[in-house]
Amino acid sequence: MSTFNAEQLFRGQKENDKLKKIDFKLISFTLAGRDYGINILKVKEIRKAGNFTMVPNTPPYVKGVDNLRGDIIPVIDLRIMFNLPAETKDASNLENIIILRLDSLVLGIIVDTIEKVVGIASEAIQPPHPIFGDINIKYIQGVVENDSRLYIILDVDRIFGVAEEAEVHPAPLAASESVETIETDEEKAELVPTPNGSLDLQFISENLATFNQFHVSPLNIQWTKNRLGAWKDLRKSKNLDFQFTQKEDGEEFLLPFFSPLTGGLWTEEQLVDLAKVLKLEGNNLVIWNPGCGQGYESYSLALMMETQFKASTYKVWANDLDLLSISMAPSLILDEDELDLSWKRFTVQTKNGLQFHSDIKNKIMFEFHDIKHMNPFTQIHLVVMRDVLSFQRSNDQEKILGEITEKVKTGGYLVVGANEVVEHEEWKFIGHEPWSIYQKI
Amino acid sequence: MRVEYINPFVEAAYNVLTEVLNTEVKRGNLFLKAATKSVMGVAAIVGLAGEVEGRVLFDMSKQTAIKIASVMNMEELTELDELAKATISELANMITAQAVTKLHELGFKFDLTPPALITGENMEVSDQEVEALIVPMETPHGSIEINVAVRERS
Repeated sequence: MSTFNAEQLFRGQKENDKLKKIDFKLISFTLAGRDYGINILKVKEIRKAGNFTMVPNTPPYVKGVDNLRGDIIPVIDLRIMFNLPAETKDASNLENIIILRLDSLVLGIIVDTIEKVVGIASEAIQPPHPIFGDINIKYIQGVVENDSRLYIILDVDRIFGVAEEAEVHPAPLAASESVETIETDEEKAELVPTPNGSLDLQFISENLATFNQFHVSPLNIQWTKNRLGAWKDLRKSKNLDFQFTQKEDGEEFLLPFFSPLTGGLWTEEQLVDLAKVLKLEGNNLVIWNPGCGQGYESYSLALMMETQFKASTYKVWANDLDLLSISMAPSLILDEDELDLSWKRFTVQTKNGLQFHSDIKNKIMFEFHDIKHMNPFTQIHLVVMRDVLSFQRSNDQEKILGEITEKVKTGGYLVVGANEVVEHEEWKFIGHEPWSIYQKI
Repeated sequence: MRVEYINPFVEAAYNVLTEVLNTEVKRGNLFLKAATKSVMGVAAIVGLAGEVEGRVLFDMSKQTAIKIASVMNMEELTELDELAKATISELANMITAQAVTKLHELGFKFDLTPPALITGENMEVSDQEVEALIVPMETPHGSIEINVAVRERS
């Protein structure tokens, strides 16, 4: 069927709605013989069009632009984008176009045939399985069966991301496989990663891991090397060997590692500064704050959202493995004398002391959670994880960083410790003292 | 697991156990588990719904279950018969209900399902997508592990 049969569609809908709870409707279409679907809420309209104005220097799947009643919108051929066989109609034939509206982006996608509206219960949607799609599993929201047809629901937000899209090609599933191999090499991975690191660096790395659970890796090796030099001089001047004999030695070694602005709320000035770099917009922003400790960082982030990004709705997910610290976080008592005046209006007096108002508290979810366990998020906009990764084993560091890279939206941010460095092709360093901020490209 | 949920479960376990067993009960260190976990022999499961989705599992050995059922029924039981099983299910229900009441007072609306009792050898429990909080309780009759795995309903 390449034309809409409105009567059949309407009748079908009414029957379905009576049978089961329909809370998700999708527009079904075909690509290379397979059935796909897109959430109807993302679909603006359906049309037939042709003769697109070609735009030079665009990826092959960008067929050009089309004039949609005055608005110029890009037209993308999904079949080419996903490397599926596509029959090119000659210039006079019209293509089937689905016009999508994603947040502020409107674009058209060319498909083989457009079928109908399918109403389903959202709980019937199953998570994708690698064999169901010829296209990258990342772009599949789920699969659902209806009327003995199997529809692959595309996650168009993920596919079309933010303005500058990188080339879409099937990403290797190797990410999960490589974690397996690293784990078996766990013993070796603990020792110094650089082949030309000196023996001293190797000893200090072992000491740090044993006494202080600090694991040297590409994340912090530059800082460790620099610190080692100064440390050796310091110890020599005291007539001591540079190696640790007890935990306190390691604590002294690590003292300059820790990021500034911990253990207290950030000031309005600092938040204004930070907000200049973080271009957060939109609604339902997910902010992940592992290693929140007593909660000062989490509250600071909420305050930043309330004062600098007033238009956006958000939620801060704060985690820590220190049960004692985090269980006190929801009812954190503030020191009235030390409190920055700008934050006064967000606090209330309670019988235990000065606390944050429930309007702020309700925006933060404090959870006792081990970040080495499965990550429950589907999409994250900002991760603030300072001085946390360095205290994980090397293979856990890689795994966690890999998950973050997967789940952070393109254009999203990762803030690590002041002395931590993320070396990854998908992360670009964008400054900015006293924070170490990376943006996902 | 949300920190506000932890204390109600810990307190309810302590309160109910000390009351029904009429003895000192000690709490071990809480920890989190995300992989498959062995079950000691008797598992009572109560489902949780409402603002969260998940379950609470009460894990103990067969011997401990028999001894506890004996104390609660005030008669010496020698095997895990229907009466003993019903008693353990009831214990699970009492602890969960008290925890849910405390949570209700804090403003969290939880619902619970009737308990199910599972017995066997070499059993394991695994949760694919939810992290479990383990609260070990030491009683003179043996240890009971309270295994809570809930996640926010998105």
